[in-house]
Amino acid sequence: MSLQPDMPASPRRAVFTSLGVISPVGDTPTFWANLLAGTPGVRAVRAFDPSALPCRIAGETLEPFDAKKYIPSSNKDGRKSLKNMAKTVQLGLCGAQLAMDDGGPAKGTIDPFRFGIEFGCVMVASELEDLSAAAKHTITADSRKIDMAKWGHEGVEKITPLWMLKYLPNMPACHTSIFFDSQGPNNTITAGDVASTLALGEAFRLLQRDAADYFLVGGCDSKINPLSFTRNNLFVPFTRNNDHPATAVRPFDKDRDGTALGEAAALFGLEDLEHAKKRGAKVYAELAGFASGFDRGRKGPILAGVIRNALKEAGITPADVDHVNTSAGGLPELDAFEARAIHEVFGTVTPVYALKGQIGNTGAASGAIELAASILALKHGQLPGTVNHAATSADCPVTVHVGEPRPVTKPYAVKINYTDLGQCAVAVVKKFE
Amino acid sequence: MRRRVVITGIGSVTPLGHSAEKTFAAAIEGQCGIDYISRFDAKTFQTTFAAEVKDFALKNWLPYTHERYAKSGENTRYGLAAAQEALHDAGLLDSTGHDRTRFGVYLGSGEGAEDFYSLIDSIGRAADESGYRVNSAKFGSTGNSLFDAKREAEFEMHTTAGHLAEEFDLCGPNFTCLTACAASAQAIGEATAFIRHGDAEVMLAGGAHSMIHPLGVTGFNRLTALSTRNNAPKKASRPFDLDRDGFVLGEGAGMVILEELEHAKKRGARIYAELTGYGTTGDAYRMTDPHPEGRGAVKAMQDALKDARLTPEDIGYINAHGTSTAANDECETAGIKGALGAFAYKIPVSSSKSMLGHLIAAGGAVELIISIQAMLRNTLPPTINYETPDPKCDLDYVPNAAREKSGIRNVLSNSFGFGGQNITLIASKL
Repeated sequence: MSLQPDMPASPRRAVFTSLGVISPVGDTPTFWANLLAGTPGVRAVRAFDPSALPCRIAGETLEPFDAKKYIPSSNKDGRKSLKNMAKTVQLGLCGAQLAMDDGGPAKGTIDPFRFGIEFGCVMVASELEDLSAAAKHTITADSRKIDMAKWGHEGVEKITPLWMLKYLPNMPACHTSIFFDSQGPNNTITAGDVASTLALGEAFRLLQRDAADYFLVGGCDSKINPLSFTRNNLFVPFTRNNDHPATAVRPFDKDRDGTALGEAAALFGLEDLEHAKKRGAKVYAELAGFASGFDRGRKGPILAGVIRNALKEAGITPADVDHVNTSAGGLPELDAFEARAIHEVFGTVTPVYALKGQIGNTGAASGAIELAASILALKHGQLPGTVNHAATSADCPVTVHVGEPRPVTKPYAVKINYTDLGQCAVAVVKKFE
Repeated sequence: MRRRVVITGIGSVTPLGHSAEKTFAAAIEGQCGIDYISRFDAKTFQTTFAAEVKDFALKNWLPYTHERYAKSGENTRYGLAAAQEALHDAGLLDSTGHDRTRFGVYLGSGEGAEDFYSLIDSIGRAADESGYRVNSAKFGSTGNSLFDAKREAEFEMHTTAGHLAEEFDLCGPNFTCLTACAASAQAIGEATAFIRHGDAEVMLAGGAHSMIHPLGVTGFNRLTALSTRNNAPKKASRPFDLDRDGFVLGEGAGMVILEELEHAKKRGARIYAELTGYGTTGDAYRMTDPHPEGRGAVKAMQDALKDARLTPEDIGYINAHGTSTAANDECETAGIKGALGAFAYKIPVSSSKSMLGHLIAAGGAVELIISIQAMLRNTLPPTINYETPDPKCDLDYVPNAAREKSGIRNVLSNSFGFGGQNITLIASKL
């Protein structure tokens, strides 16, 4: 058996050629304007009545989300299919539509098998109304005792036939592939808050090994529904500062007391550089390095090693980095974990930036939407200030960039994401020249 | 030279047995792991049976730490057991002497255990008289008191791979994907690519899943995807047979240790096979129906052959996705012929799902392991319950009894999923 190198002689380069964002501070380009202005995106929850829960604030989309307005009216089948999608799935699809509208390759101009999709997403919670008729019919006087004979016999039929398909995590990728005839590699990474950064890294590897020329890659997540919100209130350390939502989530701050949820979609076109050049695509930035790992016990040194590995692939040192775009969401333990790792690699010299104070933790979308901030910063030459950071916590040895936007002075940005268990991923992006 | 990736450990927990060895032994005897559902009262469901893992106790694998996972879902508990077996099999349980940051995890695994009773109770009590409107404040209040915080945290999809990494000290790349029924095959394919690229030396890869719970059966029943042969459960999974009427839910886990060849040689590891080929495509067709000509499946098989630098004549056995649904088995047959041409008729093809049921996200990993065992033992597992040929399914399905076949150098395993995911893996004798 003859063996060929997995990597071509001259490594293929991957560039970001389109961008679509739906967020608590607006869609692209409003998103960017509001990042520069520091407009708050965390507000009292409006989608449902959260009054029974300890945390009642979140980053909901700026305008109440209406999927139809994103899908061209000429796409009748596409619009019709929206009814089979939960909000998270719609967000992902609409984010993909925005990215395609922002200079994605038109149908017929790309080999469908060379067009891949990578989403970060998680299992979507059922809408209560999809199960309520069956539930109402089968509960009994005893708590938690459901009449199973009745459920199986009469309850099941009260549930819409396509119920399960509204909620599967790979449905954003499925519908997006149908919309844009993408028949190449198609994956959905479901690793919680690190999902879309891992998805980006995997798409990068697939492009490098010549398995595709163009990827739609990113993430989508909305847990601002009664079931997810109730469940997450039980085990996520949320802020209790319900009275001041705009300033409640405080990355690296000494007064941080927990995070808040957000909802978003962020999708990129990630493309082989030569392919992008050939079709004359505009380029936002280059993806220069990626690494991932598991920091057991969330101590810091392994995340630091992952950062170094990503810098190594990019062929740079910490001195080349303009800013570190962190995952910090105002969590007592995890912000300190991340700060220790950053300190180990960068000391306190490199400015760090955190978006979660402004829009909340957008879960599986967070890696992508936070990266969008750095890509736009490199492109426009300005890094927005971190909001809600007044006094750096003693256990967070980093220098947080706050206040007015600062000029970007170096060509690289580093994006860090991780989960509460320690899965972590780092991407290095480069200003494109 | 590209870095070569070999399999040095295997582990399974399935409806046929609590290890890879027991699963294969039962499969070549043509045993069936399907029976009436015991996990909950399913007597009035459209489908009353499934392929459950029987008599499972995590303490048999993790005698000192099993209690940590008492509130984890079956996905995590089966996954831990299969991972322990695979790591032990590969001689990698002891972390001393290895750089654990070069040892990662990639799972195709599902969600934890849905607390059906608390969920339905909370919704039912918050519903108005019509049953179609729910008071969200009331739901929040009831849910907040009924749900168990730890159990809800364990529902999150990254917890299985996270717990495996914690338990076994695996600090390399840690991925979880869920591409429906293709997930663990995709995990193994991408993990292989990571090792080839240099992102890791060793990866624990595979899947773990259980959807044998009230909402799982409810959801698949509503999609009319499950067999309803309630009078004869052991006859219900009948891939490629004319009278097939849907798939049978299974559960379990399958894990392999993927290792860079030189790394494995240096430590004198036993090598089962080389993972030579991986193909991945999307149908871009419909949510559940496969493309009628198997368009994406053909390309996935072709890409896997190309990746392995093989031709159809090199393939000695195909482990089919073979779900026993009308659409899958017909489209997969068309796809195999589309990818392999006339030689497709000369390759034995069987579906382990006839005995195992459908392990959903975990299926691909368990079936790859069975394929490799078949190659090494010169014995092909059968497709049981094959009684009436379907004119549209006209390949050699190894009907009803295992078959001796020596000299197999390469085996091919297909996994397809809702959403149009198509994954093909090829394993080869070293």
